[in-house]
Amino acid sequence: MDIKDPIKRMDALAKARGETKYLSDYRFEGALYSRMLRSSIPRGRIVDIKLPALPEGYRLITYKDIPGKNALQMITADWPCFAETDVKFVGETIGLLVGPDRELLQKLFDQIEVEYEAQEPAITIAEGLACKGGAFLNGNNVHCSLSLQKGEDIEAVFSRAYRIVEQEITTGFQEHVYLETNAAVCTKEDGRFVIYASAQCPFYIRKSVCGLLGLKPDDIIVRQTATGGAFGGKEHFPDVLCGPLLVACYVTGKPVRLVFGREEDIANSVKRHPSRVRFKTALDKDGNILGMDSEVVYNVGAYLASSFVVLQRGCFHVTGCYSFPSERTKGIGVATNTYPSCAFRGFGAPQTLFAIETHMNYLASLLGKDPLEFKRRYLIKKGELTITSGPIIEDVKLVQMLEQVLKASGYAEKSKAYAIGSGKGIGLAFYNHGGAFTGNGESAIIKAHVKLVKHLGGPVEILCGQTEMGQGFQTALRKIAAQVLEIPPETVIYDNPDTSRVPDSGPTAASRSTMVVGNLVYKAALDMKRRIDAGEDGFEVETVYEHPEGYPWDQSTFQGVAYLGYGWGVCAVEVEIDKRTAEPVVKGIWTSHDVGHPIDELICHGQVNGGVVQGIGWASTELLQNIGGHFKQTSLSDYIIPTSMDTPTMSVEYVDNPYPWGPFGAKGMGELTFNGSAAAYVDAVSRAIGKTINAIPIPSEVIMDYMLDKEASR
Amino acid sequence: MNYVAFSLKQALEIRKATKARVMAGGTDLMVSAQRGEGMMPRFEGDMLLISHVDELRHIGFNASGELEIGALCTSAQIAGDSRVPWALRAAASRMGAVALRNCATIGGNIANASPKGDLPGPLYALDARVRLLSVDGAEEMLVSDFILGLKKTKLKDDQIIGAIIIPKMDEWFDYIFWHKIGTRRANAISKLTVTMAIKLDQQRKIVEDFRLSATACGAKTNRSREVESLVIGKKVQELEDLVAPVQEAFDKVISPRAMPVFRRTATKNMIADFFSRVARLPEERNME
Amino acid sequence: MKIDFNLNGVQVSVDKDPLSRLIDVLREDFGLTGTKEGCSEGECGACSVLLDGKLVTSCLVPLGSAIGSRVDTIEGIRDTKLGSIIIESFANGGAVQCGFCIPGMVISAYCLLSSNPHPTEDEVRLAISGNLCRCTGYDLIVSSILDASRRLA
Repeated sequence: MDIKDPIKRMDALAKARGETKYLSDYRFEGALYSRMLRSSIPRGRIVDIKLPALPEGYRLITYKDIPGKNALQMITADWPCFAETDVKFVGETIGLLVGPDRELLQKLFDQIEVEYEAQEPAITIAEGLACKGGAFLNGNNVHCSLSLQKGEDIEAVFSRAYRIVEQEITTGFQEHVYLETNAAVCTKEDGRFVIYASAQCPFYIRKSVCGLLGLKPDDIIVRQTATGGAFGGKEHFPDVLCGPLLVACYVTGKPVRLVFGREEDIANSVKRHPSRVRFKTALDKDGNILGMDSEVVYNVGAYLASSFVVLQRGCFHVTGCYSFPSERTKGIGVATNTYPSCAFRGFGAPQTLFAIETHMNYLASLLGKDPLEFKRRYLIKKGELTITSGPIIEDVKLVQMLEQVLKASGYAEKSKAYAIGSGKGIGLAFYNHGGAFTGNGESAIIKAHVKLVKHLGGPVEILCGQTEMGQGFQTALRKIAAQVLEIPPETVIYDNPDTSRVPDSGPTAASRSTMVVGNLVYKAALDMKRRIDAGEDGFEVETVYEHPEGYPWDQSTFQGVAYLGYGWGVCAVEVEIDKRTAEPVVKGIWTSHDVGHPIDELICHGQVNGGVVQGIGWASTELLQNIGGHFKQTSLSDYIIPTSMDTPTMSVEYVDNPYPWGPFGAKGMGELTFNGSAAAYVDAVSRAIGKTINAIPIPSEVIMDYMLDKEASR
Repeated sequence: MNYVAFSLKQALEIRKATKARVMAGGTDLMVSAQRGEGMMPRFEGDMLLISHVDELRHIGFNASGELEIGALCTSAQIAGDSRVPWALRAAASRMGAVALRNCATIGGNIANASPKGDLPGPLYALDARVRLLSVDGAEEMLVSDFILGLKKTKLKDDQIIGAIIIPKMDEWFDYIFWHKIGTRRANAISKLTVTMAIKLDQQRKIVEDFRLSATACGAKTNRSREVESLVIGKKVQELEDLVAPVQEAFDKVISPRAMPVFRRTATKNMIADFFSRVARLPEERNME
Repeated sequence: MKIDFNLNGVQVSVDKDPLSRLIDVLREDFGLTGTKEGCSEGECGACSVLLDGKLVTSCLVPLGSAIGSRVDTIEGIRDTKLGSIIIESFANGGAVQCGFCIPGMVISAYCLLSSNPHPTEDEVRLAISGNLCRCTGYDLIVSSILDASRRLA
C-alpha cells in the first residue's frame, strides 16, 4: 500500500456519532463557573473596581491573588495574566469572577462597575505609527522590526532604474471561527494542578502559566480535550484562559471552568494581523524587474506575544515564489490599542503572499503584459537565493503544477474570452509556505522528542505532544508508524496528549507536525521494527530531532537557509460579478499543491479544500472592523464566513516531490493551502471589474466602490 | 411568568389579561434574549408562546378571493406554496437557512419590524394587509401602516397578529422583480432587497400599476406612491426614459445610513435593469 | 411548568420554564451532548435537531414549542438505518475534521435524505447551507452525503 492511499480517519466515527466529548461536554464535580471581567476601554487607567456584596463562595480573582509573576510566558512574556493599573486594549483581562451558580454569578457580574481614566487610543497601523495619544511602548510604538537585503544594494538599483513603481496593499483582521469556542477547566488532582483545555499546544500552556504560582512547568499537568478547530487561534491564546483559571483554582481550591460564548470569543480573542505592505519596484526599459524593496507593517496590538515571529515569517515570504536580482524588506510590528494579534494559519505569510501576487499583477497590467507570462519569468528555482540569502534546496515544480491547473481550469481560453471589465474573470496565484520553524529553530528552540512504546504483549503506542484539532494528525501519525511496523494503523494507540505522560515534541503549529514529528515517529518505528523482528517486546524507543548539517542559519541576522523544504501551490479562481449589485459568484476553483509525498490524499484533500475556502473568506466576506478599539462584527450573523453555497466543488491535484527529511517524503501543508486563494480570487474580481484592487476584504459594497472609483467604504 | 397558549381563544385571553409579549417561532426573540450556555434567556416582562395555536397556521383564499396567510405560517411553508405571489415566495425561500425557515413565521417577521426583515418588502409592494386580533375584535391595516419604524409597530398590547391578507389574484402583476443582496450566497441577512411590480393594460402598451419597495436602506422598508405615480399611466416604450426620474425621486425616499453609495447605486441599477427588461415585453414574468 | 415531549422515541417530562432553550434541556437535563453549541443565535447549525421531523436549531427553540412534539437528536438517529449509512459515508469520505459541526451536519443530511433520498449536488449544498464548517470547505461533506444517497438504493 502507498502511504498516500486514504484510510478511514480514526476520529471520524465517534465525532459523527456525537460521542466525542469536547470540553463543554464534560462535567467536573463541584466546579465553579467563571466570568471574565475585561477592560471596556482601549486605553486608560483603572481608577476603581466597584463590587457588589459577594455572597460566600463568590470571589473576584485579580492580579493581587497571583503569588508569582503576573505574566503569560508566550514567545515573549509581556502579556499580563490580569491587568494591574493600566489597560491597553478592549477585552484585556482585569479579573475572573468565580462562583457555584451560573445565574447568580451572572447577576453579580452585571453589577460590577469599573471606573477608568480614559486615554486616547491608537487603533490602526497609521495611528500606531503616528503614536496617536502619545506612544505607549518604547517611545515609538514599535514592538519589533527587522531588515533583509539580498543581492545588489537596492538603492543603487533604484538610481539606475528606468522606472520605479510603488504600490500599497493592505489586509484586514481575520477571526479564526473555530466552531468550538475557547474553553478550559483547571482542577487539582492528587495535589497537582491539572488543566483541561481545547488547545493546540499543551506544553505551551504549562510553560506560560506556571510562573503565576512560582511553579515549574512539570508541576502542572495539561490534558488536551478534543479540540473543535483551532487554526492558530488556540496556539497561544488558551494561556489567556488558563492563567486566570489556574490562579482561581489555587485561591479557591476548587475546579474552575470557563467556556466562552461565541460573541465573547469573537470580541475577545486574538486575530490575524492586519497588514500594510508597501512595494517599490525598479524596472528597466523593457519592463524587467531589477529589484524590489518593501516595507511590511503588521498591526500587533497591545502586546507582542508571538508576533515578532509572525512578522519574520511575513518578511521571509514577501517575494513569494519569485527571485529578483535585488531584494530588500523592512518589517515593523506596530503597537496599537487593539486585541493582540497572534497565530492564524499561515502565521504572517498570507499577508505578504497576497501582497506580492497582487503587486505582480499590478506591474503586469501597468506594463501591458500578460500577468501569468510576466510572473513565470521570475519563478524561483532550486539553488536560487531567497530573501534571506540562502538557497532553495529542493526541486521547485511550480511549472508542472501550473500546467495541471491550466489544463483543469481552461485558464488560457477563459482569460482570453473574458474581456477586462466584462463581469467575468479568472485569476491565478503562486504561493508557498516554509515548513516547520524557521532556520535552525527546530534544533535550537524546540528540540522535539517522541517516544514509541511497545507494550509487553500488547499494542504499540505513540507518545508525543502533537494534538488533533481537525487536521487529521492522529490518523496520519498512526499511519506513519503502522506502515513502517507493518501493522494495522487502528491498532496503534495515540491519545490526546497529557503532558505528564508524553515527551515535549513541540507545538502543533508551523506545519511542522507531519514533516518533523512524523519523521521522528518514522525513525522510531524503523528502530522498533528491527527490534521486534529480533524478537524483542516490552520496550520503548525515543528519537530526538537533529537538524541536517550544511544548511546554516543565523537567527540574529536572519541570514541563511530559512526553510529546508517548502510547500508550493498554484490556485486559479473564476468569478462572475453582477454588474448591477457587485455581487460576486465563485464559478470555479482549481488547485495543485506540492506537499512532498502526501501521507493520506483524503486528509490532504480536506486540508486543501478547507484552506482555500478560508482564504477566499478572508478576501471576500470576512470584514472585521475595529471601531474605537471594539470589534464591530462579533456574531456569526455579522462576521460572514463561507457556507456550502459560496464555493463550488474544487479541483484538487498534487505533484509528487518527496522531501528527504520527511516521513515517506511528506512535507507540511496545513498552512500552505490558505496562502494563495485570496490573491487568485482578487485577481479574478479585479479582471472582472477592470480595476486594480489593493485591499482586502472586498465584500460586494467594496467591489461596488472599486467599480465606481469611490473611496467611501474603503 | 411565561405562558404557552394552545388555542387562539386562550392566547387572546392571556394576552388581554397579562399583556405578555408574544413569541411565535422565536428566531428573533430567542437570539436577543440568549445569555449563553445553560442560562435562562432574559426577556423584559412576561412572554406568551403561541407556537401551538394551530388556527393561525393555514394558507387559503377568503370569500373575496384574497389570499390569507396565517400569522404562524413559516417561511418554509410560504416558500413552498404556489398560491403565494412569487416575490413573497422568493423572499421566504431566501430568509436565513433551512432550520430558520422551519421556525420563522410571517407574523413574527412583521411584528419584529427589523429594517432588514425579509418579508415586508414584497408585502409592502403587494399592498398586503395585516389582521390584528384581540378578545374585543379584529382590525385590519396595510402592513406598511402597521410598521412604524425600527422595531416599532401599531400592535396594541392586547392584540395578536392573526393573518396577512394579500389582495386578489386578478390584481397581480405582469412583471415582478425581486432581488436580495445578502451578506453571502446562503444563510444571509439582507444588505439590500428591492421589490418591483408592473401591471400593463390589456394591449400591453400602458403601465397601469407600478410598485417599488426597498428593504435594508432605512429604518423600515421604503415605498413611495409619489415615486410610483411617475410611472403609472406611462407607455411601456417610455419606461427606459423614466429610469432617471424614478431613480432620482426614489433616491430621496431611501435613507441608508451605512454603505449609502452601495445601497443607492445598487437600487438605481436594479430599477434600470427592471425597466429595460420590461420594455422588451419578455415572456418571463419573474425577474431577479 | 411541566413539559412533556417525545425524545428520541421515549416519552419524557421536565419541569422548566417554557422559554428555556431546548439545547440546554437536551445537553444538561438529558446529558445529550452530541448536540453542540456553536453560536447561540441559530447561525451555525451545530445544535441542529429534528422537531417533528423538521430541521431546527435547538438554541433558538423555546422548550415550550416541543410540548407534545417529537425531538430527535444525533443520539436518536445515529443507529437508525439511514443515520448509520450517513455516518459511515462521512467517516469514509473525509467529511469529518474537527468534528464540532458534524453531528449537526449529520442531522441536516438525515433530514434531507429522509424526504429526498436522491438529491442533486445543489440540493445537498442547499440542505447544509445553515451548517457552518470552518475546516472542510464542504466538498467532502457534500460528496459524502451523495455517497450515502447512492448507498441507500
